Amino acid sequence: MSTTSGQAVAAGRLRAPRPSAAERMMRAASKLTLPVILLLPAMTIIVGLVGYPLVKTIWLSFTDTRLGDLINGTSTWIGLENYKEVFTDEQLRTSLVNTVVFGSACVIGTMILGMCVALLLNQRLRFNWFFSLAVLLPWAVPAIAASSIFKWLFDDRYGFINWALVGLGFDHFKDYAWFADRNSAYVAMFVVVVWQSFPFIALSLLAGLQTVPKDTLDAAAVDGANAMQRFRLVTLPLLRPIIAVLVIFSTIWDFKIFDQVYVLAPGVPDRAADTAAVTSYRESFALGHFGTGAAIAVVLFLVLLVFSIAYVRLIGKEARA
Amino acid sequence: MRTPKVLLAALAAVSVALAACGGSDNSSNDKASTSAAPAKLSGSVDVWIMDPGSPKIQGVVKGYATSFQAAHPGTTVNIEFVPWAQAHDKFTTSIAGGKTPDVAEMGTTWTPEFADEGAFEQVPKPKPGVYVSSLIDAATLDGKIWGKPWYAGSRALIYRKDVLAKAGVKPPTNWSEMIAAAKAIKAKVPGIYPTGYTGLTEHMYLPTIWQAGGQIAKQDGKSWTSELNTPQAVEAIRFYTDFYKEGLTPKAAIGWEEPDAQTAFINGDIAMLIGGGWTYNSIIQTKPAMKAKIGTELEPAGPSGKDTAFAGGSHLVVFNGSKNKDLANAFVDYMLEPANLNKFTGEIGFLPGTVGGIKASGYLDDPVRKPFAEQLLDHSAVYPPSPRWGALEGANIFDGEIQKVMRGTQTPQQAAQNLAKKMDEEFAG
Repeated sequence: MSTTSGQAVAAGRLRAPRPSAAERMMRAASKLTLPVILLLPAMTIIVGLVGYPLVKTIWLSFTDTRLGDLINGTSTWIGLENYKEVFTDEQLRTSLVNTVVFGSACVIGTMILGMCVALLLNQRLRFNWFFSLAVLLPWAVPAIAASSIFKWLFDDRYGFINWALVGLGFDHFKDYAWFADRNSAYVAMFVVVVWQSFPFIALSLLAGLQTVPKDTLDAAAVDGANAMQRFRLVTLPLLRPIIAVLVIFSTIWDFKIFDQVYVLAPGVPDRAADTAAVTSYRESFALGHFGTGAAIAVVLFLVLLVFSIAYVRLIGKEARA
Repeated sequence: MRTPKVLLAALAAVSVALAACGGSDNSSNDKASTSAAPAKLSGSVDVWIMDPGSPKIQGVVKGYATSFQAAHPGTTVNIEFVPWAQAHDKFTTSIAGGKTPDVAEMGTTWTPEFADEGAFEQVPKPKPGVYVSSLIDAATLDGKIWGKPWYAGSRALIYRKDVLAKAGVKPPTNWSEMIAAAKAIKAKVPGIYPTGYTGLTEHMYLPTIWQAGGQIAKQDGKSWTSELNTPQAVEAIRFYTDFYKEGLTPKAAIGWEEPDAQTAFINGDIAMLIGGGWTYNSIIQTKPAMKAKIGTELEPAGPSGKDTAFAGGSHLVVFNGSKNKDLANAFVDYMLEPANLNKFTGEIGFLPGTVGGIKASGYLDDPVRKPFAEQLLDHSAVYPPSPRWGALEGANIFDGEIQKVMRGTQTPQQAAQNLAKKMDEEFAG
């Protein structure tokens, strides 16, 4: 960009006399027309699908809006009341804490499992193509369907998991009710979320692993580095940029988690395992408190915005590098 | 390298922005309705019916659509089944989004709530003596009627005769016999839990407050106040939750919805269940072999001597947003024609919402079904018909507090206090 405009300025300086102000404006306008026209369809879609809901949600979060208000457009402005409630009401606050703690645990679990699977797939094994394909399958299952399946797998009396655990000698798991307690419910949901999200991470890391130059690894081996050292000192540093991006991606996904919790956690006593996204939905559509629901959504949005900014800066840094 | 990164950045921005809207719900509503000429019916209507939980009863409802369409060529009736547990959310979403069906079955406790939001078409006042009067009361808000009674029912006690015989106990008729029977079953019959009291079924635990001699709320002019902060309510909560605490109910039941308890009964995992005539029908349709083993009894009476159960039921409503109200009303009336009505109620195990229908049902002559009819006619009550009640139910406000007592993280007194506070907050708006 800068070079082209530089040439244009240089060309302008050579030519005399200078074009009039009106002429210059016309030229600038015509220069702008094409980009604007080209951007317009995308802009319309982004403003319509992202901008409008976002602005509306933020506006709702400052109002007291019931179902009737939503129909008749009669919401009352109450300032920061909803936000006060989000941070003082025990259940709402818990849902935010749940989101951060459970979301982070899922990110860590997904990254570790994803890395292990990627390293395995990177070995030149027979039938590797088959395994790569198989790894993709959990990702292809809709989250709601997967959650329903896992609900049965974790069923207290008829579930495969209790049956298998008892078979392995853990008698404690006979009729064990996974979703009757917050912590055990989280264990179950962790399994479902990680199972569903590791494929993308694994395949992205695999792509990264395949760009690690063989020569460097061979050189390290010649220098006497064992497998663990080669991984820690050569592979990992080379993969760092892609890992950073994947961590931010997973964080954004796992903090928004809805389907798995919505399906698996409604029976957890006092809904103690609900995440912010589910609480926001329930506050709005079960209780009819659309203002409070919107406030939770906005808080979640701001948290994720921080991660997105981190991501964009990271990308920017790399593009410059 | 640059382009994909920009793309990814845009994707990330979009995905963050979407978080702000929470769960997106796709109401699959194809509004194909054309405005109908008043004389001849045409076009199509969407009808939401609560999932009755058995393919056979679903068939009866689908049969209404087929026969109605045959009688009125050129019309289409789309039936969609909505599970009870999700129905309240789904109605709220559809009303908020302006994507309601034309006709829906509405739980009686929800009719005043959504009517208060102006969601329904008003119904002309019926002649007295046509419908069950408590169902008309439940559909009334500010003197106007917003739904037509479809069916009604009350829960009673359903038990396994064989298990009680093995335990050497008689069917319980009051609370102390209920506790004794449960303990006897636990001691003498291995592999089966005595009861299936769940953590998510207010129709099981709220009536125990009546049975203890208490009230749920009292009306003062237009406003309501909770009556849960009373010794009777505390006693009721203690009675209900003790079954769980003492291991007389499966550990997982704390997170069960009512259908889960029914499934457990069908699977032979629990011996006593609070359920309605519809529960009974579902059980014997799913597992005919169980019919000979099932006995029924009125709900166990509390210390006050009352054995009151909740009188539940459904209205049929026409939504304000319907683009084809003529067809919608015609289909509602068609479903309420005596012959059609009895086909459904007989199959589902509810009593018809019309007085003539109840007389014709023959329920009082069937010894196993008689307690369900008796319970409804003489031993039942309704929850406060406040427009806020539906939201209280929808938010599982009661469930959370009851579950905490079941788990032992709070006392029945604390639960009663918290509930009274939450109810009053919600009643106050």
